[in-house]
Amino acid sequence: MKRTIAALLAITLAGCGDSENGRSIYLQRFFGECTAEYGTATNLAKVEGECGIITTMINKFNAENHGTRVSQNVVAWPGYPQLTAQVAAKDPPDMVTMHTGVMSDYAAKGLIEPLEPYLREAGIDPASFTDASRRAVTLNGRVYGLPWDTHGGLFHINLALFKKAGLMRDGKPILPRSAEELLQHARQFKARTGKPYLIQSLVGDPAYQTRNMYTYLMAQDAVIFPDANHIRLRTPEARRVATFFRRINQERLGTLNQDTPAAIASFMNGEGGIYPTGTWMIGQFEQEANTPGRLLYKSYGVYPYPRLWGRHASFVSGHAWVVPTRERSPEQRAAMARFFRFLADHNFDWARTGHLPAFRSVVDSPQFKALPHRQDIAPLASIGQPLPGYVQRQSAIEGLVGEELAAAVNGQKPIERALADAERRVNNLLAQVD
Amino acid sequence: MAASPSRSRLSPLALAGVLVGAAIMVAPLVWTLLLSLKANSELVGNSGAALSAPYTLENYQAIFGNYLTMRWLLNSLIVSLGTTAGVLILSSLAGYGFARLDFPFRRTLFVFVLLGLAIPQQAVILPQHRLFAELGLHNSYPGLILPGLVGSFGVFFMTQYFRAIPVELDEAAMLDGASRLTTFWKVLLPLTLPAQATLGVFTFLGSWNDYWWPLISATRSDMYTLTVGLASSQMNYAQTSGLGFLMAQAVFASIPIFIVYIVFQKQIVRAMAGTAVR
Repeated sequence: MKRTIAALLAITLAGCGDSENGRSIYLQRFFGECTAEYGTATNLAKVEGECGIITTMINKFNAENHGTRVSQNVVAWPGYPQLTAQVAAKDPPDMVTMHTGVMSDYAAKGLIEPLEPYLREAGIDPASFTDASRRAVTLNGRVYGLPWDTHGGLFHINLALFKKAGLMRDGKPILPRSAEELLQHARQFKARTGKPYLIQSLVGDPAYQTRNMYTYLMAQDAVIFPDANHIRLRTPEARRVATFFRRINQERLGTLNQDTPAAIASFMNGEGGIYPTGTWMIGQFEQEANTPGRLLYKSYGVYPYPRLWGRHASFVSGHAWVVPTRERSPEQRAAMARFFRFLADHNFDWARTGHLPAFRSVVDSPQFKALPHRQDIAPLASIGQPLPGYVQRQSAIEGLVGEELAAAVNGQKPIERALADAERRVNNLLAQVD
Repeated sequence: MAASPSRSRLSPLALAGVLVGAAIMVAPLVWTLLLSLKANSELVGNSGAALSAPYTLENYQAIFGNYLTMRWLLNSLIVSLGTTAGVLILSSLAGYGFARLDFPFRRTLFVFVLLGLAIPQQAVILPQHRLFAELGLHNSYPGLILPGLVGSFGVFFMTQYFRAIPVELDEAAMLDGASRLTTFWKVLLPLTLPAQATLGVFTFLGSWNDYWWPLISATRSDMYTLTVGLASSQMNYAQTSGLGFLMAQAVFASIPIFIVYIVFQKQIVRAMAGTAVR
């Protein structure tokens, strides 16, 4: 009994302790935990998936950089409650994965550092970032993150069903060039296949609605956020987009009442033509497309959202590495700069996850273009547009806008009222921002 | 062996109803177990594959392959047992005090205890986090255990139980020369064992399942409890591409709770029936 108590006390005291040296980097990330599979892996060419690639990358850096150690802390997605708690406790990590849409919340309060000094030391020129990435990590003229990827909405397409619907030409799917044409295609698709043209995750997925709205507002050059405290949604452009998606649902040209897992399963099971979702699903769908016997076998294509109004644009976000503000020694800063360099040099490996690279040189590389579908989706790196850097609470706004839009396109609220409610709720939220 | 009277009264129709009800209750658990025994790749797009062989233990291997899983399990055990022990000790002492001792502001203090029942954890989480940060207790066992010790429910529960014990027992013990401490320790406390068991089980379950406080207090992975650790292991869209693993995690995290239920089912049923407090 005494031994047990002594052991428990020892563990307790160990739990209270903490030790670091000048060249250790305490990195915090999401993307899951997979040390069981990749705990000792260092060969990047042999690993797959977000978790496998980032785990192996850190292993490789540690193996190649004696004297500098990156220790990783894996947090439950998306990790912001923990990060905020760590900041409040004055114990933030050295580097953190962050969605670019969240950076403004932390940067506005000085909780993350501008990265120019690190980038200079690492020899990374922000001009080498893709347009979408550079826009995403630049806030008020300062670079606050090392961009890691760009992700945004894409049209994931079941080519076999498109062929059956007569919507293929020269081995490529025929995508609409206007909203009216999309409706025509959808009607034709439904008539010939008996299935909906669009698979939609309309339940519990506000990001789906918001992504569609932002993308097509940007395409119409509408000003969504005229300043840091206001959103503008009671506009002809927003009405046009909401009315369009409402019509798709009224004519039953898209699936209804599906959440994200159900929509993903529907697409994999060939229950619809197009699933508009993000870059992050490419790997999963590609795997299905390469597995004989699956309904997507050799029948998968993926393209940016088509231009339905105005110009070709797409709302994008991305992952970035940011540095929470805290005291650090010059040695530690130098070690972090070395790790940034390493990450930048291995951006291609990360791009194998399906996300678009953050560096122009990788997007333009033959190596990247040789990956499946990457040439088709590469335009996203240039047409991709994040929200303006001065907009805070982007994640909360996404929830509010998505909720109201879902009510509008499902017919639970008149469109005009839903847009007005969305505008009012977002403006109330932004009025509370410091 | 003769059937018990209560069983003999159950008509076939009622028995069928009970069996159907039981099947409905058990079905999701069986479904979870079956899903956990299937490869993730087989479940993508078709969770119905769980109903047919082959089955595999690879999801459980992945859980145990993570070198931190056992650490998280140990953390959860230390935190849950520590919290339970602390709550039982403090609640018994406080309950005895409120029920038996006469001291200034006793009623006022008890009202404060009752008010504590009405204040949700969310209302105090920010000052609590700040306080623990100032004390440097985050990422430590004391940091995970201490907030759980100040539950008003335990004090209220034990006070009510002590009040239900006849005062004559105290008087008889004191007539025999027992001190107040001896009376509490040797006469009254043994009588509260049913209540202790009930309170202990609920405290343990609450602490084991707690997610929010460990999420923001234990931010370093070696200090995660099982709930936070397993959540951190999940990849995005786990419900689609990692369904088997997700279910294996659910099963794994439930096993200790299941054992607690099996061992203490009498106390739990009694507590649910409201008979723990006489």
